[in-house]
Amino acid sequence: MNLIAGLDTPSQGEIWVGDQLISTMTEGQLASWRTRNIGFIFQFYHLLPVLTAYENVELPLLLLPLSAAQRKQQVTTILELVGLADRMYHRPGQLSGGQQQRVGIARAIVTDPTAIMADEPTGDLDARAAEEILNLLCMLRESLHKTIIMVTHDPRAAQRTHRLLHLEKGLLVEQVNA
Amino acid sequence: MKYLKLIFRNVGRNRLRSLLTVLVTVVLVFVVTLVWSVLWLLDQVTTEKSQNFSAMVTERWAIPSRLPFSYADPLSRGAAHKPGDIQPLDSMTWQFYGGTLDAKNFTRENIIFGIACEPEKLATMMDGLNDLPAEQESQLHEDIAQLKANRQGVNLGHNHLDATNKRIGERLKLTGIGNFKGLDLEFEIVGTFPAGRYDTLAAFNRDYYNNELDAYAARNNGRKHPLAERSLNLMVLKVPDRAAFTRLASQIESSPEFSNPAIKCETMASGISSMLESFRDLIWGMRWLLAPACLVTILLVIANAISISVRERRLELAVLKVLGFRPYQLLILVLGESLLLGSVAGLISAGLTYGIINWGLGGISFPIGFFDRFMIPTAALWWGPAIGGLASLLGSFLPAWSARGVKAANVFSKVA
Repeated sequence: MNLIAGLDTPSQGEIWVGDQLISTMTEGQLASWRTRNIGFIFQFYHLLPVLTAYENVELPLLLLPLSAAQRKQQVTTILELVGLADRMYHRPGQLSGGQQQRVGIARAIVTDPTAIMADEPTGDLDARAAEEILNLLCMLRESLHKTIIMVTHDPRAAQRTHRLLHLEKGLLVEQVNA
Repeated sequence: MKYLKLIFRNVGRNRLRSLLTVLVTVVLVFVVTLVWSVLWLLDQVTTEKSQNFSAMVTERWAIPSRLPFSYADPLSRGAAHKPGDIQPLDSMTWQFYGGTLDAKNFTRENIIFGIACEPEKLATMMDGLNDLPAEQESQLHEDIAQLKANRQGVNLGHNHLDATNKRIGERLKLTGIGNFKGLDLEFEIVGTFPAGRYDTLAAFNRDYYNNELDAYAARNNGRKHPLAERSLNLMVLKVPDRAAFTRLASQIESSPEFSNPAIKCETMASGISSMLESFRDLIWGMRWLLAPACLVTILLVIANAISISVRERRLELAVLKVLGFRPYQLLILVLGESLLLGSVAGLISAGLTYGIINWGLGGISFPIGFFDRFMIPTAALWWGPAIGGLASLLGSFLPAWSARGVKAANVFSKVA
């Protein structure tokens, strides 16, 4: 996942994401490419504790040439989409795990990336919150047509995917969903 | 501008650490500001001017300089004899005098050193008194008028007024000490100087002083006072520019009428530098040891605080990288935090130093040469933020560089 997101460099070979060869990009080019093409959802949310939900979601937009009004419009829309319109000005410490993960998802999709990398998105959540997050990810996939690449140990999450790959002793093995 | 909020929030993240860093910086900038204020004034008076040159004439081979008073008149004309010779624009005689209010028990507080001079020259020939604000200038002119009208008048600096607990209008009697023994002078305080540079100066009418030197002989069976023949300590001459000074100095130094004792004519800045020569090591230490040591300490304090902060936030920095922040943007974020801390601390310190020292204490007491009290210059108001800002930028550069190089993949592999 680090390789696909351009966070790590391959020891050999090439990495193409869509029609982009990312393995030859510089760190700066990769950062710029990531802003526009990749959204990242973490297991432990990794929200900045000093910023509110709104400001956390706004962070990636600071890197794009958008006015304050455009940023506000986009952040508000996304927070409404993930059901957190009433928690916009709460800091991460004032939100539940499920709510924090929804802020994390909002942050990942606010720049309208083509692909979303989800690293154990339900790994730190209870069953109910995990279900809500999976529903939200499915909704994003269906309605916004986002490609979501998810790493998970959670069988319920695995069941919701279109394509399932197992990592066995360092090798990816395809398994077709029933 | 978009990152300012993030910078502010990060600074406020650990308030105690930020507060302590600011406090240490405030104290150190305070010390640097004090040191630089002293050096600034010394630099000002020892830096050659391009216009309104002051030349100082003193005895060539002896310190302290003692010249016959008969030199005063030809020197005031610049030893000009023939047509085409250059003459100074203005001149002022300085005759030093030291006396005490209590001959039996003299202390620093009751000793007064002063100069006998032409009163009107105080307003035209003394640095800092010739460019006063209108209100102070008008007061000075009033005091000078009183001094001219009252032969035994004295203009006393604020420190002397405070130390002797005297007020304008009161009288005082000074008993000559050291070389001035036998010369006891009685004065009426007719005015003071604007607070600051001349707080420890006393200036009085030279006619009264010279008369007292003459009267000494009358009181002592015709035996003249040892200073009678050599009562002129220095002469200050004003010339328009350096070229005029060079001509005047050559004219004076080659004039045969000043051969015994021989004299030298140098710029005021050079003359003051010579007088400060005995403080050379102290000034050197202040300039090259004390101030740099404080600056390095600020740098280390800020480097330490920022480096702890960066270490604690490696995960967040990695997240920012994942979101698309470029390495240089992380560098700017971290440098911005330290710049904010340093410059705010510097501004607070400079403002407090300026206010407390100038308005609260009336200057820093630091007797060096014939300077006694130093005021904080207005320029210090930008020194503070500049010192704090620059030291913090330098101090945080390494931690910021380390933040720039955070490898997101490595950080997340440890988290996982």
